[in-house]
Amino acid sequence: MATEHQGTTETTEAPKQESGGLPQLQFEHWGGQIVWLLIIFAVLYAVLSKVLLPRVSGAIDERGGKIAGDIADARRMKDEAEAQARAAAAEVAEARAKAQKTAADAKAKASAEAAERQAKEEAVLAEKLAAAEASIQSARDAAMSQVRVVAEETAGAIVEKLTGKAATAAELKSALA
Amino acid sequence: MADPMHQFQIKKIVELPTVTVPGLGAIDLSITNSVAAMMLAAALVMAFYTLAARRAVIPGRLQAVGEMLYGLVDGLAESIIGHEGKKFLPFIFTLFAFVLVMNIQGMFLVFTSTSQLAVTLTLGLMVILTVVAVGFAKNGVKFFKLFAPSGVPWPLYFLLVPIEILSFLIRPITLGLRLFGNMLGGHVVLKIFAGFVIALGGLGVLGWAGSALALTSVVALTALEFMVAFLQAFVFAVLACVYINDVVHLDSH
Repeated sequence: MATEHQGTTETTEAPKQESGGLPQLQFEHWGGQIVWLLIIFAVLYAVLSKVLLPRVSGAIDERGGKIAGDIADARRMKDEAEAQARAAAAEVAEARAKAQKTAADAKAKASAEAAERQAKEEAVLAEKLAAAEASIQSARDAAMSQVRVVAEETAGAIVEKLTGKAATAAELKSALA
Repeated sequence: MADPMHQFQIKKIVELPTVTVPGLGAIDLSITNSVAAMMLAAALVMAFYTLAARRAVIPGRLQAVGEMLYGLVDGLAESIIGHEGKKFLPFIFTLFAFVLVMNIQGMFLVFTSTSQLAVTLTLGLMVILTVVAVGFAKNGVKFFKLFAPSGVPWPLYFLLVPIEILSFLIRPITLGLRLFGNMLGGHVVLKIFAGFVIALGGLGVLGWAGSALALTSVVALTALEFMVAFLQAFVFAVLACVYINDVVHLDSH
């Protein structure tokens, strides 16, 4: 240090006030630096802490909040879409069930009508059949009663012819029974 | 060769009256090159954050850098002090930004305020006085528990308490000296090597080789000094956090 300094005095125009040593240890400059440092630091601290840093942290918080909000929005929309998809599926299932029920109803109604119509036809036919049977029966009964009368008359005539005297109606009847 | 210490010489730029404070003596309030560099540093920090502190959701480059530095100090305070670190964040950030800009300024301009012992010691004292103030405000008289760590057999206190008190009192000095020494050393070495470039360059062909070597060293050292400039500001902020944490969490000390 000291030797260096002797070398420099040749080039520098005038010997400096300090005789070597650190310029930092010239204590006459300390007071001013310290006072100014305190003032400057106080101003810087006030400006940063009251104005500028809140802006920075505000921007960071805002960004974090926005990201979180966007994610929450996206999640909510996804849930909504899923719920809508579920509702749509339920609607489709319901519509299908309704359609099946309608079809089944129509089928049942059609078959019921057909059965009814068939039953009616059958009833009409049965009625006609019964009427025909009744007329046949009455015809036969009439024929049969005709046969008895003819037999009685024939028997009376035969008896009269053989015996010469007519038999009574009661005798004829008991004989034919 | 130019005097490597000449760069640290305080010079007056604007002559202002000397104020005599009783008990402290005369204080020359002239604006010197050191004071001007400090003013410029504070102005640069404020100007930078005026431009960088936008509320854009997608940050531009300037805003991204500003928020990155803020996030760095925020993470530091949060990880060392815990959730109470938020309260001290403006103070620690101001320290960090101010010291960082003064250090970096020294790499571009002719004067480095942080190579002035008066400045670094004052910054160190500010940290420790903050620690003491916070310690008393938070713990009252229990602040003195800081010097008597628990979980120690009582005879050891005779040894331990003086050591703790001493280590506490020495903190502002180490804080100030560390920053001062790093800045002083770096700039002196740079100046000396740069001087070699010229001095050896005049010694003929062999000297040119030495000159080139010295120039290479200067380039490498400049890169190193940029790192030191950032690192020392960071270390200052870390230590400020550590010291504040000591008194914030005195119960778990």
